[in-house]
Amino acid sequence: MMTTTPILDIDKLNISFSTYGHKSHTLFDVSMTINEGERVALIGQSGSGKTVTMRTIIGTLPMPPATIESGSIKYKGKELLSLSKRERDGLKGAGISIILQDPLLSFNPVLTIGKQMDDIVRFADIRYGQNRSADARKKHIIETLAKVQLADGAQIMGSYPMMLSGGMRQRVLIAMALLNKPKLLIADEPGTALDVTTQQEILDLLNALVRDEGLSLLLITHNLGVVREMADRVYVMERGHIVETGTLEEVFSAPKHPYTIKLMEAVPPLYGSRVRDIENKADKNTEIKISNISKTFVRRGGLLNRPIGEVQAVKNVSLEINRGDIFGIAGESGSGKTTLAKMLLGLYGPTSGDIQFNGKSLNELRGTVEFRKLVQIVYQNPGSSLNPKRTIADQLAVPLHFTGYDKAQIKGRVAQLLDMVDLPAHYASMYPHELSGGQKQRVAIARALSVEPEILVLDEPTSALDVLVQNTVIELLHRLREELNLTYVFISHDLSLMRNFCNKIAVMFRGEMCELGATKDVFANPQHNYTQALISSIPVISAEEENLKPKLTKQERAAVLATSTALGK
Amino acid sequence: MFYYLLKRAASLFLVLVGLAILIFVIARIVPGDPARIALGPLASAEQVAQMREQMGLDLPFHTQLWNYLVGLTHGDFGKSLLTSRPVSADIMQALPATLELVLFTIVIQIVLSIPLGVLAAIYRDTWVDNVSRIISLIGVVTPGFVLAIILQLMASYVFTFFPVTGRLDGGLDFSADVTGLLLIDSILAGRPDVFGDAFMHLILPATALAAAGIGQVMRITRSSMIELSGRDFVEASRAYGVPERVVTFKYILRLACVAPLTILGLEFASLIGNAFIVEFVFSWPGIASYGVRTILQKDLNAVIGVVLVSGLFFVIANLVIDILLGILDPRHRLREGASK
Repeated sequence: MMTTTPILDIDKLNISFSTYGHKSHTLFDVSMTINEGERVALIGQSGSGKTVTMRTIIGTLPMPPATIESGSIKYKGKELLSLSKRERDGLKGAGISIILQDPLLSFNPVLTIGKQMDDIVRFADIRYGQNRSADARKKHIIETLAKVQLADGAQIMGSYPMMLSGGMRQRVLIAMALLNKPKLLIADEPGTALDVTTQQEILDLLNALVRDEGLSLLLITHNLGVVREMADRVYVMERGHIVETGTLEEVFSAPKHPYTIKLMEAVPPLYGSRVRDIENKADKNTEIKISNISKTFVRRGGLLNRPIGEVQAVKNVSLEINRGDIFGIAGESGSGKTTLAKMLLGLYGPTSGDIQFNGKSLNELRGTVEFRKLVQIVYQNPGSSLNPKRTIADQLAVPLHFTGYDKAQIKGRVAQLLDMVDLPAHYASMYPHELSGGQKQRVAIARALSVEPEILVLDEPTSALDVLVQNTVIELLHRLREELNLTYVFISHDLSLMRNFCNKIAVMFRGEMCELGATKDVFANPQHNYTQALISSIPVISAEEENLKPKLTKQERAAVLATSTALGK
Repeated sequence: MFYYLLKRAASLFLVLVGLAILIFVIARIVPGDPARIALGPLASAEQVAQMREQMGLDLPFHTQLWNYLVGLTHGDFGKSLLTSRPVSADIMQALPATLELVLFTIVIQIVLSIPLGVLAAIYRDTWVDNVSRIISLIGVVTPGFVLAIILQLMASYVFTFFPVTGRLDGGLDFSADVTGLLLIDSILAGRPDVFGDAFMHLILPATALAAAGIGQVMRITRSSMIELSGRDFVEASRAYGVPERVVTFKYILRLACVAPLTILGLEFASLIGNAFIVEFVFSWPGIASYGVRTILQKDLNAVIGVVLVSGLFFVIANLVIDILLGILDPRHRLREGASK
């Protein structure tokens, strides 16, 4: 039998953090191995300790405040924790490399891509006593860019990060990680900052690279769909403990630990028996009628800020939303879904066309208290939509104050609202930072409901939350809709969530509505190529679902999706 | 880059024109007849009327303004009532001294505050950081004139090698004709003795003037360094094996300079303002003392001239800062040029 040294071998790692004299244990006896050529996923929600593990492996964990209490990390049999700083630094990028989550934030915004990549190569050269000329380094960089399917290497090197599209930045970032030929690549939530169709390209690319370059991969993610496409073996982490491990097959088909089971169940299914069909049992009167609405933004620039062009964000969209609907507006970034939502809220006036609420035109309603009591919004990120300096009660009181409640009534109403969203009454005197993400979003929902609106616009209300928390918020929204007879307009890019939450769905594509119908029908038989491409790009967690996805040929896909490999205008 | 500069320069030009109009209007609203002030209380009504005609005060307001603006285009600020000389000549005489003082102050600020800020950030929460914090606090809370007087007293009794008044020792025979700045002209003329003496004269007033800014800029540099060092791209660079020294000085410091530079640009205005007091204490023959005298005498043409010239320098300083920011952070100019 052949024994090979694993590329990475973590044994009983314990790490604690001390902040302001308070010490907290973060990792408990974490053990993990990655064999050569293997793709391993570390699954966990935010706060589970996966980022700490990642930074410890790389050697960027700030110490202090962190302390490694005990344990070992071996890279190819070599103990990393007792390595000299020099040797340790020598492995960075060259032995173990990393792709951080956000491709924009991972670049220095003020240096060209070429400069940043050249630095990485140059300092590795100095460290290893190589003496390549600037031209040779440039050649090497262009070759590496070609590996991530970026052909315009020289041009990309001359660009600043902000000039590239999200997908290209992600590719360049992968190339950056590969520059010094690492053996182990750590990918932190790859592609999650990107649109789902671009994410699919990136996942395919990473898989190809691991295969062709003989890399080992450690994938750090909370997205189980991505894990299924990317990993051979998985570790599940909860609060600093590894709670379950096994091959992808074992864990995904028969999860054992309750936490893993809970995680698997929380993923909204795209197809199959677990899918939940939502129906509208209300009276079905048309509540919102959007007729032929368009919005054009004028771009200004030049010396005198003259108009220099226009962008049609929304083009001739018509749709009707009934009382009691959960109407989904799906689309990727730049599709016009947010512009459409802002027009619904009266924040933007349409360039042409009209919106009617219960037969009254938005033009009459805009700016009236009546309208504010009709439509309200819940924003994506409760961390920034709530004022950090005011108590929960204060924030809930703001809309009440403007709609004619007096002081005594406000107090009673605040208590009532908190109760409505399942928060204890004493939360009224707390500040947002004392609440968890899910609790904050409940407060945001309570605030939107305070003036008793009929319609709630939900702008990706769960995308900033972990999947387990997401489900509790979704349940809350379902309950509130029934109790208060609400209509929801749900804006999202998360189609699997929409499949289980909306009864009707419209898909936006470059400002136009390309698909409209009952959610069930749209997923069973998507008409437009783009809808098909979108659905087929969603990472799912079972082979059963994978097989039910619409199939597209490469040509069909290419016809609707711009690839992220070429430089734009 | 050219486009960016053109746009900046154009907007700054508009600021200057606006300032000229505004200050001219204010000067005319201020109670008191300039002709009467010029002639004194004993002059007869006819004499005053004649003077008004001579000064152009009898013309309609918009014509006066127009004439003044046209005059400005060829450097004519009108005549000073106080000295009976063209205002431009008076200003040209006093300006270089102030300019030298202010520029020297800025150099001191940059040379001291940015490195101290960087050190404080690198050695965060150690004694280095604490010492720098104390220095900056003292600098910020001590008013410039108090510091000026304290420094002057110390120079008189303890550090007697520092001269306490003026720009140059009376015994040195030197006139700065090229740029008007003693430090530069002395080098051009090959006079190290003059350079040394001028340098010693500059240190105390410039220190008094620089103190407040040093504290501010140091703290901003420190917090910007700390904020940036937590960014993803810094972690990424470290993870790719870029040495710590390069990460700190090339990646972080360059971006961290953006905030302090912006502050320095704004600081320039308050430097000119504070220079009034410091020049007074150190008998510095600058534009500030000229400005104070003319204000007290309601010498309106001179007041407008002084305000316009300080405005001009403020505008130029900000243009320079904008150019530097455009170099440091390409996003500034890319955003503006993107439309092109």
